[in-house]
Amino acid sequence: MSDQAQPSGIDLRAVGPHLLLPLAIVGVVVLFALLQPAMLSGDNIVNIMKQSSLFFFVACAQLVVIITRGFDLSVGANVSLVSVASSMVMTAVMPLYGTGLGIALGVGTGLLIGLVIGAVNGVLVAYGRINPFIVTLATMSIFTGVATTISGGFPIFNLPEAFSYAFNQMIILMLPIPLIIAGLVAYAMHFSLTRTVHGRVLYVLGDSNEVAHVAGRRVKEHLFLAYVTSGVLASIAGLLMTAQTGSGEPNLGTSLVLNSIAAAVIGGASLRGGSGGISAPIYGALLIVCLSIGMNLQQINGSLQPVVIGAILIFGAALDAIKTKAR
Amino acid sequence: MTAQAALSESRASKLMKTIGILPFVLVLTCVLLALYEPRFLRTSNLINVLRNASFLTIISAGQMLVIIVGGFDISVGAIVALTSVSSALSMVGLSSMGIESAGVIVALGCLMGLIPALMVGIANGFLVSVLKISPFMVTIGTMTIAAGIAGYVTGGTPIYDMPELFTREIGRGKVFGLPYIVYAAAIVLAVLWYMQNQTRLGRYFYAVGGNEKASRLSGLNTRKYIWLAYVLSALLAGIVGLFLTARVGSGEATLGSNLMLESISVAVIGGVALKGGVGRIQMVALSALFLAVLSNGMSLARIDSKYHIIIIGLVIVIAVAAESFRESRRSNHV
Repeated sequence: MSDQAQPSGIDLRAVGPHLLLPLAIVGVVVLFALLQPAMLSGDNIVNIMKQSSLFFFVACAQLVVIITRGFDLSVGANVSLVSVASSMVMTAVMPLYGTGLGIALGVGTGLLIGLVIGAVNGVLVAYGRINPFIVTLATMSIFTGVATTISGGFPIFNLPEAFSYAFNQMIILMLPIPLIIAGLVAYAMHFSLTRTVHGRVLYVLGDSNEVAHVAGRRVKEHLFLAYVTSGVLASIAGLLMTAQTGSGEPNLGTSLVLNSIAAAVIGGASLRGGSGGISAPIYGALLIVCLSIGMNLQQINGSLQPVVIGAILIFGAALDAIKTKAR
Repeated sequence: MTAQAALSESRASKLMKTIGILPFVLVLTCVLLALYEPRFLRTSNLINVLRNASFLTIISAGQMLVIIVGGFDISVGAIVALTSVSSALSMVGLSSMGIESAGVIVALGCLMGLIPALMVGIANGFLVSVLKISPFMVTIGTMTIAAGIAGYVTGGTPIYDMPELFTREIGRGKVFGLPYIVYAAAIVLAVLWYMQNQTRLGRYFYAVGGNEKASRLSGLNTRKYIWLAYVLSALLAGIVGLFLTARVGSGEATLGSNLMLESISVAVIGGVALKGGVGRIQMVALSALFLAVLSNGMSLARIDSKYHIIIIGLVIVIAVAAESFRESRRSNHV
């Protein structure tokens, strides 16, 4: 690049990537608002906030492991299993010991399942040194099977209304409860990724496995912990999504695997590892949710919507590839 | 220990190293099944197993080629669906245009089915080899696009009314007692075995996957081979799509939805290393046969189909854990 162009070029380059996604999101919202004024109605905005908060959790679950140059294909199975199991616990405990304990035990079961799935993945990836793609492919298959087996393939109804209210419908200071939980988790994740040794180790791990080993940190523990975090985040998504649908669904998470990876990568995480902050799942979730809600309002054929998401996914990955090449 | 015993032991361990434990597990599974469930040995059942193994072998062969050059092909299942829809629509369209000869309709229909498959393969190859985008992202993207198009074109309803020549003859016909797909799989197996063992092309695939940089520096056009692997994978998936369409007798946008996972599982159980540069077609074919026997056995034993994916998932974990255990022992010895 010539010398004259450099001063303005640097500014644009430094600011450009940070502005690109917010601008794209605003652009999508404005576009659909022009086509369908309902896009900006109060109900729809609350809907966008809720949906993107739910989606944020799975994207974030994906981010934690993508940073370490891994994957988590089991997030969808995790969501499905958590949905089914927590619903079953709630409906079983409620008549005997009351609603409050039922909800508490259901939520506890859900989180515990997320923890266990994450721990299984983590043990196999970090201590067994097996490729994360294969590990999570296998656990995805196993836990999807468990979810359909224990539920018999049918949804579980009659969840307490208080559960749906507490985890989906409640609005505090004009903010829906999923958004508040997402905000708290986003802050905690941001803190742990940028301010703690654990976070630094994850980025170093993604950059270069050897460097992390040489640096003397107990790499395996941190890698294991990343998968556990991912599992717990996915289980939170499972609980919140169950509260939204009001029933335990054995295939609640089926479409989430690809979309969660898409959201994290579109948001700026790189599959080559070592990069991507908390903004990646936030922007990625907002973009995909705004797009799909907009396309629904515009009544675009349901089969064509994934075509748009797929094209954007490839476009985002191409941008990432070009950025990497430039580096 | 006497010298002879040591010698025979080292010979046994050498044998184990070259062929692995898969053949033994396969034989053991077959024997146990035959003892437990005599229906397993019926000719009709064995042909059924062989047919399923053939579908799996062909699609996993493509997956293997892509994994050998260091990639993935997640789009194979969607390619199967796209081929199915496109070939069925073309056949129905051609026969409504007044073409009489069933042979011409079927030939053109198959061609029209393979064209979109090849286009997906070419796009995958271009994006991965030239633009250097992660294969995972590329093929997830093309998968959603291809599946979306297939769903949009059919509107979710299957396409019937294909010529009898296609559905009855190719789908259900047999030559010397075996379905056509078995011969197709045998040809794929033979050609790929020849390519991997006897040709330069085969060596180049391994070289590119083993160390792309070194291959490029030593003058190989690595882009060309990576691209070619994706095109071949798509072509093989397209062929599976045609046979499956003929078998079920309709063009369906949901055909092959399990094949992406199954093809990767088959390749991995067959010892194809995800880091690239390793993988033999004969082991992949054995692994396809193993999975086909396993799921047949589970059906015969009336194990609920919901448990199938659990068991297959466990098999993958065990296979890969065994492989990584062997590898770590090997590197410890050296």
